[in-house]
Amino acid sequence: MTESRRLGFILAAALLACAIVAAGPYLLDTYSVNVLTRSLLYAAVALTVDLLWGYLGILTFGQSVFFAIGAYAAGLVFTHLDFSNANAVLALGLGIGAALLTAAIVGWLAFWHGASALYASVITLVLPIVATQLLYSGGTFTGSSSGLSGFTSFDVSMEGWFWIAGFFLVAVTTGAFIFVKSDAGRLLVAVRENEQRCKYLGLDTSRLKIAVYLACAAIGAVAGYLYAGYSMVVAPELAGFVFGTELVIWTALGGRGTLLGPVFGALIVDYESAQLSGDYPFVWQLIIGIVFVLVIVAFPRGLLPMVVALPRRLLARARGPASPAGEMRLVRLDPTLTQGEAPGDGAALAVKDVAKHFGSLSVLSGIDFSARAGELVSLVGPNGAGKTTLMRCIADGSERSAGSIVVNGHDIGRRPPEACVALGVGRKFQMANVFETLTVAQCLQVARVRHARPSFWKRSRTLPLPEAALHVLATTGLDRQLGTPAHLLSHGMKQALELAMVLALEPRVLLLDEPTAGLTKTERMQIGGILTELTRRQGLCILLVEHDLDFVREISSRIIVLHQGRIVLDGSVEEVVNSELVRQVYAGSGHAGIAHSAQPIQTGAPA
Amino acid sequence: MSASGIEVQQLSSGYAGAKVIREVSLATAPGEILAVLGKNGMGKSTLLKAMMGLLPRMGGSVRFAGREATRLPPYAVARLGVGYVAQEKALFQDLTVEENLRLAVRRTDFEVALAEVERAFPFLLQRLKQRAGTLSGGEQKMLLMARSLAVGGKVLLIDEITEGLQPSVIDRLAGVIRDARARHGTTMLLVEQHLPFALAVADRWAVLDRGEIADTGAAGEPDAAARILRHLSV
Repeated sequence: MTESRRLGFILAAALLACAIVAAGPYLLDTYSVNVLTRSLLYAAVALTVDLLWGYLGILTFGQSVFFAIGAYAAGLVFTHLDFSNANAVLALGLGIGAALLTAAIVGWLAFWHGASALYASVITLVLPIVATQLLYSGGTFTGSSSGLSGFTSFDVSMEGWFWIAGFFLVAVTTGAFIFVKSDAGRLLVAVRENEQRCKYLGLDTSRLKIAVYLACAAIGAVAGYLYAGYSMVVAPELAGFVFGTELVIWTALGGRGTLLGPVFGALIVDYESAQLSGDYPFVWQLIIGIVFVLVIVAFPRGLLPMVVALPRRLLARARGPASPAGEMRLVRLDPTLTQGEAPGDGAALAVKDVAKHFGSLSVLSGIDFSARAGELVSLVGPNGAGKTTLMRCIADGSERSAGSIVVNGHDIGRRPPEACVALGVGRKFQMANVFETLTVAQCLQVARVRHARPSFWKRSRTLPLPEAALHVLATTGLDRQLGTPAHLLSHGMKQALELAMVLALEPRVLLLDEPTAGLTKTERMQIGGILTELTRRQGLCILLVEHDLDFVREISSRIIVLHQGRIVLDGSVEEVVNSELVRQVYAGSGHAGIAHSAQPIQTGAPA
Repeated sequence: MSASGIEVQQLSSGYAGAKVIREVSLATAPGEILAVLGKNGMGKSTLLKAMMGLLPRMGGSVRFAGREATRLPPYAVARLGVGYVAQEKALFQDLTVEENLRLAVRRTDFEVALAEVERAFPFLLQRLKQRAGTLSGGEQKMLLMARSLAVGGKVLLIDEITEGLQPSVIDRLAGVIRDARARHGTTMLLVEQHLPFALAVADRWAVLDRGEIADTGAAGEPDAAARILRHLSV
């Protein structure tokens, strides 16, 4: 399916939904129209819960608050200033403004660097409790526990409100749908999946989360504003965490991460509640509770994924095997367009007197070296000597305990990883660190986001990558598995994918922690060739941790030996490999010499 | 002791819609060490995970020390006395080295287990109070190995233990593993990329190619390395 056909398909579905909304009042009785208007607005808020929880991974109990802010903005303005068209605009502006301000404060608290997902959830749980208390203590201004009612509102018929709420929901859902399926929307899943990797690909994940949170707050506020306009009643319960939790339940029932599931979940449960709770107030609550438990146990992904699974399977059978790999095409990035930082004069990397300690335990001390562009420096040393810790200190300004690190002439100071990436640092982790649920192509796309701003509504069909990344893909055969989800790849393939992702960043200083672990000797040597070419041709500075001394000897221009947190040797390949020290503390006795006696094993870390 | 070590017959496994290994059959004598080699992505780790019950078995059978394990979930396989040294992080990162060891050997005497650890990895005894997550990558691998050896189970499945280890440690590890086998009679199946290590530690070898056993032989044969390399370099 081409891109325009895909978007056309979505818009056609939206038009169909609009037609259903338009026909609604002619097909339904008055009572249902009245109840469904509320349900439609609730569904719009449930949609924001799905964006935050289902896509971004932030379980939030506080979306009710933004709904209440919008509703109270209308209620307060219309009660205290009276209704007029100008005041209606003022109330909408105030509602959205107050929601954005609240979301900015909460977002800043909940998503600061280093805050855990649980912490964010707790903050969103506190938010409705605080908001309800504020409304209660507002006296006659907020109407306290009875809220505000009896204010004048828009002169719109009940059918009119149904259409407004319906079209609003269709618009918001369509927009959200196009967004989450776009290149930019995929970042939400990437952040949920592996926030650390995102940061080391240069993405400011906190900012992304806050931006989505702000958008969701605004949608909630508009829904609340419409709610107050149509019902002409606002009450503190709208801000409560009971409503906030109901939104979460509807989302889970419908199927989180599907957008349509939560929308229908909210519509059906809220509509049925209104129908049945009058007749069976107690039993109805019980039924809802039991259904919720059953769905969570039997269909943990919610109802919608289960409902669409069968037709989708039949469709797939009719169409024959899908080839998702065919949807994405790799292209070679024009080398003149590469956007990496230009190699500066002097050292590409200067490490001065760096130390790292955990409490009294000193892991690194007095680390002092510099490396030029075009150098491939290997870091060898016994297990536990501090090699990975040193890599971490170079890629994240907050890691080291003392000393300074200068990359391309810029002191990294206390900069977070994403800012170090902006200076030209690329880091490959020791354990393969990719986005497990994304496909190979999507992982690579996320890695390119720093250079190619992703579209908010389109999905690209081509993936321009720098030559070195393409080389790694071709060498390992990953280019034939572009449509494979990363979690199905073997360990070695994941390593290769991560290497290609880091190369896609076009770094100037490349930190590689055992980049070829899990690969065969042949693949290892081919990757080695790619790395030496990168240093020679493009002037990259590479710092590499490896244990295979043959490999190290083959590709390095220089070797630094780390032992017990200190540099004990820094010299040419021959100097280091033949040194007595390396033979003693590190190197094996060669292939023939693997011992059959059970000599005990020690490491090089300070005891 | 039963008459058999590991018996895998016609085992198939993989992920939804994609079989990774097809009708693999392997057998070892009790106390024998078998090395499984093969290129990357040929199904070596999948084989171990299917044997442990971490991936669905899509046909075939698995027996350990004469006991049927084909339908058992991972914890029940472990209770048969089967240890699994996983390739990716399998330690409790927030627990100390000692707690990691204690959890694994809770049914054996801890002092005996410590003596085992001291025999092979004495450096770990100085780190008993350190959080496992603060050990380096290679040290974590060694703790993982020590934890399994200390249990002294009947069968041990080891997935690429040499990855990330310094050469001198790899040299000694072969001896440590053979020593543990000599004393406990543990049957072992190890998946490896490191050919010299695999041939030094194993009694027999098998090459896995595209999910099927392509070749097998004894580690002592003079042409073993050449035969394996032929499969690995294609």
